[in-house]
Amino acid sequence: MDAISGLLGGFAALANPETLLYMIGGFLIGTFFGAVPGLTSVLAIALLLPLTYSLDVTTALVACASIFMAGMCSGSITATTINIPGAPSSMMTALEGYPMQQRGEGAKALGHAALGSMIGGSLGALLLMVMAPLAADVALLIRTPGKFSLIAFALIVIIISQRGSITKGMIATLFGVMIATIGIDVVQPLARFTFGTGVLVQGIDMMPLIIGTFAISELLVQADSRSTRTVDPSMIKAAKVRRRDFIPPLSEVREIGALRYLKSAVIGYAVGILPGAGGSMAAFVSYAESMRSSKHPERYGKGNPEGIAAAECANNSMCGGAFVPMLTFGIPGDPTTAIVLGVLVINGLQPGPQFMTQQLDLIAPMFASLFVSALILIPLTLYLLGPYFLKIVSIRRDVLYSSIAIVALVGSYVATYSTFQMALALVFGVLAYYLRKQKYPTVCLLLGFVLGPSLEEYCRRALSINDGNPLIFFTSPDSLFFIALTAVFFYFMVIRKPKDRGLGTPPAG
Amino acid sequence: MSSERSLKPSSHPSSRRPTLGGEFFVPAVLALITLVYLISAIQLGPPMKAGNMTASFFPIATAILMLVALICAMVHALRGRARASAESSSVDTESHAEIPSGRQYAGLSLGAIGVIVLTAGYLLAFDLIGYFVATFVYVLLLCCLFGGGFRDKWLTKLVAAVAITLAGYLLFEVVFQVRLPTLWSQ
Repeated sequence: MDAISGLLGGFAALANPETLLYMIGGFLIGTFFGAVPGLTSVLAIALLLPLTYSLDVTTALVACASIFMAGMCSGSITATTINIPGAPSSMMTALEGYPMQQRGEGAKALGHAALGSMIGGSLGALLLMVMAPLAADVALLIRTPGKFSLIAFALIVIIISQRGSITKGMIATLFGVMIATIGIDVVQPLARFTFGTGVLVQGIDMMPLIIGTFAISELLVQADSRSTRTVDPSMIKAAKVRRRDFIPPLSEVREIGALRYLKSAVIGYAVGILPGAGGSMAAFVSYAESMRSSKHPERYGKGNPEGIAAAECANNSMCGGAFVPMLTFGIPGDPTTAIVLGVLVINGLQPGPQFMTQQLDLIAPMFASLFVSALILIPLTLYLLGPYFLKIVSIRRDVLYSSIAIVALVGSYVATYSTFQMALALVFGVLAYYLRKQKYPTVCLLLGFVLGPSLEEYCRRALSINDGNPLIFFTSPDSLFFIALTAVFFYFMVIRKPKDRGLGTPPAG
Repeated sequence: MSSERSLKPSSHPSSRRPTLGGEFFVPAVLALITLVYLISAIQLGPPMKAGNMTASFFPIATAILMLVALICAMVHALRGRARASAESSSVDTESHAEIPSGRQYAGLSLGAIGVIVLTAGYLLAFDLIGYFVATFVYVLLLCCLFGGGFRDKWLTKLVAAVAITLAGYLLFEVVFQVRLPTLWSQ
């Protein structure tokens, strides 16, 4: 009963004009970053991170949630109209949306994408509200050896989900773990890897790593391009959409069916809970399942609204699922929730099993923001801004990237009022640029950095309370469960690889 | 112009031997960093004491795993090069994809080098001459880099530099009350 009133209190918190403003502002920023090819909602949230030092934690979380939700659906805009997915999660949407655009049904495709996103996002947020307290109760049962095995499971799944580049995923993850060991040891008061400098004693802050990996490296990548605008203006003229065509016909919605929407939402939510999977994996799995179970699989790839609905419903539902492990176990499975974890840590909060009950008043507005963003802001934004989307995202690159550079660098300065953090952001940016060029998943670097200290701490604590006997990991039931789960995932994802079905490999994230 | 430049190196593809690129050098550099890390970890002390892990155990284990993975990546790169070398005599289509579109220095394009140099300069100037002057000059130069030089639409770039500097000031100093360095506060 307390939990229900706490969750309802989250919706009431959105009535605060300042919180509402940040939710709407976050949604519009997320829409812009998700729609512009090359930019992602992860970058938008990364740029918001420094500002959370001055923001109220609830407001910051509300803004993060709306950016996350907006970023997942807005990638479909450029995916449909000009066949360039604004975000990796919209690759499947491009397969069906662009053929519809070529038939003159681009607005209708965007309408189907928005409807799928709206249903998936709302169901994902509802499932989060229902499941997170239950997951928190389960999390309370997990002891120290089990916590180690759970984090090890998360890291291994993150690595093996990098299909085709497991070695690179492992290298990036371990490099993140190595960076995290710099500074004071997690158990003893001993400084490690400071190389005689005082500035490294406190360790590497998450902020320069995030800003460098996602913002500075993007600037370096974009510096290679010679175009002056993010989207070619000639493509905009060829891709006009009218507001009255946005509403998808009821007959087509009926043909897709409530079951398809529901199944896609559940798939997206379940994929979201898995570490390292992300929106593109959710859309891919849901699209493949939709094609497999469709009455007309031959229509796929030729402009089928069913495929758009399945992909968009799943990638938005993923948003709700992704928060479950982060809030209940303190284990983020994707970069967005890792940054949200950073927001919480900056404000002195540590997610875990008791977090859901003790701090529900702080996080309930974030749940409400996810739900309201999906149910109201997605269709409203499409209707109001839909016809102007392409003009908005076709922005001068010099203005866009200069602005990003200033927000990123000055934002790094905010944490300690020192240019050392800015310099670290530049160093990590250059490093991430090289890694990205060689197709190393930088998401793994961040997740290794975030999860590494907990992995070491639980491992050492588990062994010290059992006289250094490693068998504790196999005799403790919770630990054994996660080891068995790791083996199952390893078998199905590495030894017996999933069938490709001719759809290609989804990118991570 | 750019297509002409990108095609030049492939004029005699069969005579060109595929070189070791970033696929090999990135793990090689990481291996060097890991070796330094491993030596520092060993210097922390023995990994186990009285049956318990010490502060050096986890870093040593991580470094060893990392070195194994990096060796695998380097071997993979060497094998790829050998395969490409064998294929280049018969098929040169794939080698076209490997050719960079512009000049590269240490794996960095001229644009990326420009961003790094400008950003490093900005970091030095930020504390010395304050937010306003440093940011205005940095944004103006970045606008030139991303917008194809200063001559093209120079007035727009100048206005953009002023506007972004002011917007940054409003966002950080006024809205979020972050004290930014100024020229006279030093």
